[in-house]
Amino acid sequence: MDPLSCSDRREPPPGVPFFTQAETFAGLREVIDGHLAELLAQGKFSHGAKVGEFEHALAAYTGARHVIGVNSGTDALVLLLRAAGLRPGEGEEVVVPAFSFVASASSVVLAGGRPVFADIDPVSYAMDPASVERVLTPSCRFLMPVHLFCQLADMARLGELARLNDLVVVEDSAEAIGMRRDGVHAGLLGAGGVLSFFPTKTLGAIGDAGAVLTDDDEIARTVDALRHHGRFGRTLGDFRTINTSSGVPGYNSKMDDIQASVLLAKLTRLDADIARRAELAAAYTERLDDTPGVLRLPKPVGARCGAKADPVFYVYLIEVEHRDELAAHLAAHGVETETYYPTPLHLQPCFAELGHRPGDFPHAEAACARALALPLYPDLTFDAVDRVCDLIRTFRPSTSRPATPYSDTSRPATPYPGTREGARA
Amino acid sequence: MRLHFFPPDLFESDREHLVRLVHEIGTARPEGASQRFILGEHTARFEEALREQLGAADVVACGSGTSALTLVLAAMDVGPGDEVVVPALGCAPLASSVVALGAVPVFADVDPWTMVVDPEVMERRITPRTKALMPAHMFSVMADMPRFAALADAYGLRLVEDSAVAQGGVRRGVPAGLAGEAGVYSFVQVKTFGTAGEGGVVVTRDAELGRTVRMLRNHGQDGRTRFLHHRIGWNSRFDEIQAAFLLHRLPGFPARLERRARIAEHYTERFADLADHGVLAPPPGRDGRCYYVYTVQAERRDALAAHLAQRGIDSHVYYPRTLPRQPAFARYAGVGVDPAAEWPAAERAGDRMLSLPVHPQLSDAEVEYLADAVREFALAG
Repeated sequence: MDPLSCSDRREPPPGVPFFTQAETFAGLREVIDGHLAELLAQGKFSHGAKVGEFEHALAAYTGARHVIGVNSGTDALVLLLRAAGLRPGEGEEVVVPAFSFVASASSVVLAGGRPVFADIDPVSYAMDPASVERVLTPSCRFLMPVHLFCQLADMARLGELARLNDLVVVEDSAEAIGMRRDGVHAGLLGAGGVLSFFPTKTLGAIGDAGAVLTDDDEIARTVDALRHHGRFGRTLGDFRTINTSSGVPGYNSKMDDIQASVLLAKLTRLDADIARRAELAAAYTERLDDTPGVLRLPKPVGARCGAKADPVFYVYLIEVEHRDELAAHLAAHGVETETYYPTPLHLQPCFAELGHRPGDFPHAEAACARALALPLYPDLTFDAVDRVCDLIRTFRPSTSRPATPYSDTSRPATPYPGTREGARA
Repeated sequence: MRLHFFPPDLFESDREHLVRLVHEIGTARPEGASQRFILGEHTARFEEALREQLGAADVVACGSGTSALTLVLAAMDVGPGDEVVVPALGCAPLASSVVALGAVPVFADVDPWTMVVDPEVMERRITPRTKALMPAHMFSVMADMPRFAALADAYGLRLVEDSAVAQGGVRRGVPAGLAGEAGVYSFVQVKTFGTAGEGGVVVTRDAELGRTVRMLRNHGQDGRTRFLHHRIGWNSRFDEIQAAFLLHRLPGFPARLERRARIAEHYTERFADLADHGVLAPPPGRDGRCYYVYTVQAERRDALAAHLAQRGIDSHVYYPRTLPRQPAFARYAGVGVDPAAEWPAAERAGDRMLSLPVHPQLSDAEVEYLADAVREFALAG
């Protein structure tokens, strides 16, 4: 028996890392070794046959007509926007939520467009259709909802808005693998979507990787070219095609086959991992319900406008009164947390030229002041969930000053004393 | 006999080590902390090892050589309205990295023999909108960087060295990548220091530029405060598996490089008298050379390729079309411009170039077999 796969549950580790997949990885050793052996025999280590095999497997899992493997979720967004018709340098605008990872908006700039921010719904943390209506300008051509943490944005209402305003919907579904609306996978509810396989993701590599999902043949063809220096036609697995002329100015967004090998192995247990995440999330909710100082627990909306929505717990995010102090308290007891996200996008220095002020998007700002993500991954034990919840329930803030929404643009997003840099990059 | 151009067994001697690394890194359990797979300790050690070896101010590991070029240009604030003078012949990133920033690539012709961009020609392409010069080392010949540096100085321009293919090359004591303000290396597997995946670095003598690239490669963060984004950045990061693998491969690099150089020298010797028979070898010598790819120019190029193929020898035509001839970049070539008249040496090189296997796994017998086959073709013609 592989000693690495044998963990002793009686002696839990001293801390609770925010993220680990060591046990999962050890349990997949034989499957991964099988893929690596084939990869070494094939001999092409990026944009090779394993990437193609993974694309097929992921197409089967998501039901997407096309899956194009790339090097990151960020590049996937840039390529998707370009392929969906964003013309660089023409002043075209893309509506994105003010609360998300920066790539939701920086990808727009990298693709040559301009982000327009909208506020979020305070329960789902996704783009609020009412706010979208308020921020729309005549230059808006795209609407890019982001599905955060455990559920989809309100795609029915956002889709209707897009139709009325002649906007193309592209989904930042980087976090949303496994999330479906009436059986349709995230990323396939508009022109196309993306997936990120950043290590902490529900389906995580052990390096950067991502993918574009789409049912649109032409978008797929263009993304396929863009990831390989704008070269149209089949390039996957064939070195000799590097002398194909560039049809459009492209990028190098090729995926590594080692990462594809790991992802192929992890895909075999993705549904089990999602089920395990749901159990752990339910355990958190049960233990944290009615805890003083906890303002909000995740609340998946089961159905919207008659459409059934399947939640997937990628992140277990709570809102608390004294967020930074609680994070420090947990860190002092060896529990790592993550702040998704300390600063809303409209107040980030990199978007200063858009001229936003605190108060522009109050729900996004409130979430940034209170949100804290707790450890959640299949390797996590229920004992660890107990420890984390006990620490939260027994936490007493040293001051009575509650968290205030983001109120000062000069204030940097403070790192939390004692939190470690762990899985983060 | 079968001679691959893109050998599938590049890492044959390191197979077990690679598999072991994947498992060690995949199952690592850092004390009380999260697993880290990107820009971690291995990457830092790898950057430091290269930095020390080169005597650079900074070495910054990125997602690829292409993206490294983009980050250098972005760190120099190249953007809309700017022109960057690049070779008319070479790999797509020479033009696409400039286009990605909203700037305009301006193409300069190459030297007819070396196929490397010519400083005098580049000078003629400088306009009031020119922001930077980006010469590139080509196949096995390094660009004349001291002259490009003088040009950049004289005109007050930024100087980017596209040294993606030239890791290990040295010209008059200066390593490839360090002759300008910043250079790049690519680690895609077929390069002189290739790895088992994508990767690249920015190398620079300018510590401040290095700091900016570090920020740009990871979403504009400063490496201290998470989720604070000072500038629009990219996701162009390095992973721990590749860093650990390259650290393992680093000690063997000089020997592999030397093997390439010897094979190339031997070819050049054996092809020395073929110039009058329609096969032109690259210039001899060791200084200012880097044997990533060995390329001859042949009058009857396709016939030579077929001749070699019949004998089991793979060859490759890297750049059959110049950059301004490619649909992606034609709009930057100028309205009504005839590429054949505007970039004649690049055009001619595109018609004649043929690259031959020069990878270090080739045995002496295979090298001889290949040289014989080329001679046989040329002398029969």
